[in-house]
Amino acid sequence: MVSIDLLLNAVVAGILIGGFYAAVSLGISVVFGLLDIANIAHPLFVITGSYFTFYLNSNFGLDPILVGLILMPLFFVIGNIVYQSYYHFFEKQGAEPLRGLVFFFGVLFLIEVSIIITFGVDYQLVEAAYLGESLNLGIVNVSYRLFIPFLVGVLLTTGLHFFFAKTFYGRAIMGVSQDSLALSLMGADPVRIKSVAFGIGIATASMAGALLVMILPIEPALGREYIGRVFAVAVLGGLGSVKGALFAAIILGIAESLTATYFGAAWSSGVSFGFLLLVLAVRPAGLFGR
Amino acid sequence: MSQPLLEVQQVFKNFGGFAALSGVNIYVNPGERLGLIGPNGSGKTTMINCISGLLTPEKGKIIFEGNDITQMTPHHRARAGIMRTFQIPKPFNSMTVVENLCIPLEYAAEHKTSLSVAEEEARKILTLIGIEALGDLKPTGLTQVDMRKMELARSLAGRPKLLILDEVMAGLSGSEVDEILEILFKLNEQGITIIMIEHVMRAVLGFSKRISVLNTGLNIAEGTPDEILNNPEVEKVYLGE
Ligand SMILES: Nc1ncnc2c1ncn2[C@@H]1O[C@H](COP(=O)(O)OP(=O)(O)O)[C@@H](O)[C@H]1O
Ligand SMILES: [Mg+2]
Repeated sequence: MVSIDLLLNAVVAGILIGGFYAAVSLGISVVFGLLDIANIAHPLFVITGSYFTFYLNSNFGLDPILVGLILMPLFFVIGNIVYQSYYHFFEKQGAEPLRGLVFFFGVLFLIEVSIIITFGVDYQLVEAAYLGESLNLGIVNVSYRLFIPFLVGVLLTTGLHFFFAKTFYGRAIMGVSQDSLALSLMGADPVRIKSVAFGIGIATASMAGALLVMILPIEPALGREYIGRVFAVAVLGGLGSVKGALFAAIILGIAESLTATYFGAAWSSGVSFGFLLLVLAVRPAGLFGR
Repeated sequence: MSQPLLEVQQVFKNFGGFAALSGVNIYVNPGERLGLIGPNGSGKTTMINCISGLLTPEKGKIIFEGNDITQMTPHHRARAGIMRTFQIPKPFNSMTVVENLCIPLEYAAEHKTSLSVAEEEARKILTLIGIEALGDLKPTGLTQVDMRKMELARSLAGRPKLLILDEVMAGLSGSEVDEILEILFKLNEQGITIIMIEHVMRAVLGFSKRISVLNTGLNIAEGTPDEILNNPEVEKVYLGE
């Protein structure tokens, strides 16, 4: 007999976790979806954001969301530098994408080792007064630990959506993803535009990192567990569509939550790929793909 | 007489072993209307690609307003005032027609205004070309003819000093050709220098002050439309096509 409140709680938890997955995947949606750069190191930037958040929260008592926000400009600059190096050593030389992948593998391990050396391998968590509390809505219980990351994830997606639709830079990024030569003939420097886009992708990682460490304890190797999931969300949503990424993330969140509730947590990590294969079989361009 | 606005000096361009341009010379004076004709495959588009920066010639120089721009990036050439249309239009399909025009307004023309001012400006340009009704459509829904008009509008949005048109008349009806010609004359009167590559002979003969003829990557003739019409070499090339 299926209990209604068990089902309902699983669905709500899935939606909430989905908002968080969106935040983690937005950077991939932009960088892989629009720039065709398979930045597999993205989740490690997220983890870096988590550790920065942990450090500033445990030493100075700063609110995790605030840390995520103030780190965004710094991460933007870091993203710029990473793209410029990638461009200089790979893209400009006309290197094959596979060699670029090696570059990002390098970045991935470099970050992971740096974190291990700096923070060790112990689990870390942040504290904030509201994190232990929850909102009781009848039979559904909504914990702030999940609700706030959901809300921030949705806000981040919305913000990015409007950035792409309503700003010159946003439109130029859409342009560079479609035809970078045509864009250059319109007077925009494609390398600069891609640099900005990559920077924005990495900037979302600082906030996603802050959200991650609010939800669960972090350790350096956690980033690698997210690689599959973030690419699944970006591809499922339709490459380059941030709106699609949010929907895909929520669908995935619900699917994982239901699987964990009814079949056990061990099955849930396989769900993202099962779902991905299923959707791609029916809609190769993803849910919101062009 | 002042220096030419654009000077192409002895430009060579090869594709593998194939010589698409073998020492081409072209110049255009400020405010002039130059026609560039030649049979299919004679190197006209390749020439334009070298001028706009999509291709770098193996040999030769391209001078714009007295500066050597042979190695300059395409986006710097666009900002310097060189805009071109594509023979096969290349719109950004995810954006509306107005949004497409905002890109060169912001970047090539360095308009530096708010998005709403740029969109208003874009609509004015669409009105000038006569496609103001299409502003909010996506390019994928446009007919070939409207797509060409949009391509023209988009290059105007870059506020060019030199406008290079690569077969914008192809597929247009007689009255549409006249319409576009009228616009181009008006733009030229406002001071925009125009190079017109065209297969529609009526258009290019009626529009150009001077015509340059290419064949197999070489200059074969140059002169006024009348001189070109009566040039036996040109006649041979076109009849032999
Ligand atoms: N990217 C390219 N690679 C190889 N060959 C090319 C390329 N672009 C043009 N060509 C060749 O160069 C010649 C000139 O082409 P093009 O400049 O397009 O001629 P036109 O515009 O006068 O018709 C043609 O034979 C064409 O096949
Ligand atoms: Mg051509």
